[in-house]
Amino acid sequence: MATTMLHKHRVSVLFSFGRSLYRRINVSQGEFGLQQKCSAYSRPINTLSASEAVAEIKNMPDESRPMPAKKPISKAMKAYLLQAKNYDEFMKKQNTEFQIGRRHLANIMSMDADTMTQEDIDQAIEFLFPSGLYEPRARPMMKSPELIFPPKKAAEFDESGRPYHSLFYTMNPNFYGLLQEAVTEYVNLNKEEDNMIRKRISFNSDMKIILSGSDWLSQEKLSNLLIEQIDDAQYEQFKNVMLRLAEHPLSNKVKDFIMKYRYSLVNEAALAEIPKPSYEKDGRAYVTFKGARRKNAYADVTVHMPGTGKFLINDCDIEYFQDIQSREQVIC
Amino acid sequence: MSSLTKLISTLARVSDTKLALLNHSNVQIISSAKMSQYPKYFIDPTFRNDELNALYETGEVKEKALVPCRAALTEHTSSEFYSSFTRKFINHVMRKGNKQLAREVVEKAFEVIKKTQIQKYHSLPPEKKVDFTIRDPHELFHQAVINVKPIMVLTPIKRGGVRYQVPVPVDDLQATILAYKWFIEASKDKERTVRFYNKLAKEIMDAANNTGRVVKKKLDLHKQCEANRAYAHYRWN
Repeated sequence: MATTMLHKHRVSVLFSFGRSLYRRINVSQGEFGLQQKCSAYSRPINTLSASEAVAEIKNMPDESRPMPAKKPISKAMKAYLLQAKNYDEFMKKQNTEFQIGRRHLANIMSMDADTMTQEDIDQAIEFLFPSGLYEPRARPMMKSPELIFPPKKAAEFDESGRPYHSLFYTMNPNFYGLLQEAVTEYVNLNKEEDNMIRKRISFNSDMKIILSGSDWLSQEKLSNLLIEQIDDAQYEQFKNVMLRLAEHPLSNKVKDFIMKYRYSLVNEAALAEIPKPSYEKDGRAYVTFKGARRKNAYADVTVHMPGTGKFLINDCDIEYFQDIQSREQVIC
Repeated sequence: MSSLTKLISTLARVSDTKLALLNHSNVQIISSAKMSQYPKYFIDPTFRNDELNALYETGEVKEKALVPCRAALTEHTSSEFYSSFTRKFINHVMRKGNKQLAREVVEKAFEVIKKTQIQKYHSLPPEKKVDFTIRDPHELFHQAVINVKPIMVLTPIKRGGVRYQVPVPVDDLQATILAYKWFIEASKDKERTVRFYNKLAKEIMDAANNTGRVVKKKLDLHKQCEANRAYAHYRWN
């Protein structure tokens, strides 16, 4: 006697009511789709025991927390990841090339590759490839790729496409973030000022920042710092906001923040190399400067210290110059 | 967030000129209207001893040392005989770059003025000598230019196919340049035997007294401006 075993198969039940009910039993859509397409006769009917069916219904996921469908990565995200990868590979390649080039250059110039500085490299390139071009940036240069190729921002949004920075959609998040930081500082300084007034504390000039001796970063430098293109209007806005902050009577408290965006001015006269004096037999010191120029005229000047106040121009008196203006230029 | 963004916009609305002044609060801003080989932020040099001493006293010299500076011209000297006002006039008198001749001519004219003034002074009775103070020709020339400077001039403005001579105010620099030009023109208009510097001296002394040819020219111009008062609105529309 052949007994038919009831196999415990899944039931693919054809429901006549409620489409939502389809999803409650773990039937993959693919199977169901197939079921619909193929004729019912070609497929065996899968069956489930009653207890199993009940258990399934109990274990069904809660309606209140529907399972998120797995989204594929958007095209924008894909393109961005590809770009970032390409950039990294490119920089790596450039770096290795630069390192190899350094070693070759050290070999050519018989210098030590390990102790070679960027200045040495610049000098060597200037020697090997002399250029008559006026613009320094047009002349041949060999620099580390970080200095030549502009830096790119790190990932600005995560895999799901959600940006990290709250101001991402301003298109210049770093710039507007900076402005907001400045304003936040300003508000805090105002609060401190109010507190001081309430407590009757007097204000000193020490509490205000001294801006002399430094100047704001140029538009280009600021763009490089923030890794964002900053146009003229934005640059003006930046200067206005920062100046307003610096104008506050308590601005010395935010000195570090402000000085980040300023560079110190240099007294060029102080930087000038003072030539060392030679000495004559009687102990008088003197310095000779050769090639002092003005238009097509040039002069070799010798100055003695201690001096008599007298001078000779080509073994002549001041009368070497007939024009009064020229004489005035010598004396006054 | 919105209140902060509002604050940003209010902070940014501070007037530009005020901020520019604040930015370089102690450092002189040069006029940016010049066409120059130097960038705009380059300041003029200080070459007079008294000005330099003043800078050292106030301590401003430290700030000025940090700002890039234009080169001094060959006219810029700390000489006793330097006058910034006369130097400009000498430049206008100069022809074909002959600075030497221009300076000679103007200085000769001043010599003539000085001699004349001294003569006048000594010919006065003692009571009136106290009032006769202006003997310096540079001062006299300064006074003469002030008397000759026009306040308004006529400019041709085209309306409806017709060119009208419209009275228009003129700024200080342009007025000074006009005054120089008129002095030179009047001094050139002379007999062959008369020297330029003699004529110039005469014109300057007359102008300092508010008389003479050059002042008359200015007054005529002002009269014409009054006459063309009706066209004044053409300046705008």
